[in-house]
Amino acid sequence: MSKNLSDESDVQAATAPFQAEFPYERDEEAQVTRREFCNFLGLTSAALFVGAAGFAGKAALDARESLSSPAAPIEGAETLTPNSSLNFNYPTERDSAILIRTADGAYHAYGQKCTHLSCPVYYSRADQRLECPCHEGAFDAATGAVLYGPPPRALDVIEVETRDGQVWATGRNGG
Amino acid sequence: MKERSKAGQAAVWQARLIMLVMINIAQLWILAATVDAALARHYSVLIPLVIASGVCFAITLSIIKWWRPTSRKKTSSGYIR
Repeated sequence: MSKNLSDESDVQAATAPFQAEFPYERDEEAQVTRREFCNFLGLTSAALFVGAAGFAGKAALDARESLSSPAAPIEGAETLTPNSSLNFNYPTERDSAILIRTADGAYHAYGQKCTHLSCPVYYSRADQRLECPCHEGAFDAATGAVLYGPPPRALDVIEVETRDGQVWATGRNGG
Repeated sequence: MKERSKAGQAAVWQARLIMLVMINIAQLWILAATVDAALARHYSVLIPLVIASGVCFAITLSIIKWWRPTSRKKTSSGYIR
């Protein structure tokens, strides 16, 4: 006679007809040996090591990629009204960026990833600053510097210049 | 005597588990610090953090593979269980 380890006799009775086709013992599932648990902790340790190495490797690759940023026109920037913003991609299609035309008419562009945990920042017209909705960080619209919140550094600055009436992104610098 | 030996083995298993859990927690902290440093572009601390995580993994492996209660004798076919 087998000993009932769980207090789920009703569940066992209800699932009894299925046990013929799917002989799956719920009680056995709850039993994890020390050896199995040790092996699981070993796997977790390996996964955490691979995660740390992968993240560091990706950061190194990103740093290398950001060195080359060819100039590119920003479509639709000319029609941007003061105190508003426009999203674009620079230097590659995968890198989202934000162009801001401040109230004085000047253009400023930044990488859109918050430097805290990479949430996309948006331009707050009311406060005239860039804000991150995830952890309430804020950046200066004119410089990209951190105003408050958890971000550890300024936003990546994208250099912009006007050529023949068209706004161009000409380079990207880490903040 | 046999009971004492069993109790000793259980204590060693318990110690192994506790150490493994502590190392896993340390590695979690290291991973969080790595993510933080990568996003903040503090590249100089990335390699030490990865090395620290690797050392933790090596210790974990050594605990799982080689640490045995001293009462267990090794034979040509492995440890006596």
